[in-house]
Amino acid sequence: MSTLHVLSHSPFGDNRLSSCLRLLGSADAVLLSGDAVYALQPDTAPFSALQERKIDLFVLVEDAQARAIAIPDWAKAIDYPAFVELSIHHAKVNSWL
Amino acid sequence: MPKSVLIISRQSPWSGPGAREALDIVLAGGAFDLPIGLLFLDDGVLQLAAGQNAKALQQKDLSANLQALPMFGVEELFYCAESANARGLGKLSLDEAQPLATEHITALIDRYDQVITL
Repeated sequence: MSTLHVLSHSPFGDNRLSSCLRLLGSADAVLLSGDAVYALQPDTAPFSALQERKIDLFVLVEDAQARAIAIPDWAKAIDYPAFVELSIHHAKVNSWL
Repeated sequence: MPKSVLIISRQSPWSGPGAREALDIVLAGGAFDLPIGLLFLDDGVLQLAAGQNAKALQQKDLSANLQALPMFGVEELFYCAESANARGLGKLSLDEAQPLATEHITALIDRYDQVITL
């Protein structure tokens, strides 16, 4: 049983990302959308935390492009159709509202 | 068999309607006999602080709703031990809530069919 965790808030304004990483199961994946893509701003604490954990990480490409965030090679850029597919491939989706 | 739902409540009690709304979802689920669980995480554990005084803010507090949970058949009540320790919480106002270590929370999320984090 795997969970897709969907984050959409900036990691600099609250602790959703750090709590999510703390509770993440070994088969789980994380999708960054909206302001959550700011976690991939290089040379920041959230960036390092994600890089070190080597998790299954997905990023909505249009949200990253809109914010001028480069997607590192250890994350996978996806579009909305791929987001839908990703949701189906996991037993459940946990949106951190 | 209806799908089981875990509500993760991570809003502090006085920051807005989030905490009350999460609790309302759980109470409604309990009233319909749905298999529903509630986990307090991050600032959500502050909802369980003993001795809160809603009158000071001229608001209604959550304690009556919290005490109603077991009566509504919601017995799966948990809180994140790490969140509670980090916020210096000692005695909590909900005796039925069980503390969970981080690794047990991962297993808890796995056990439910649906998870909603508010």
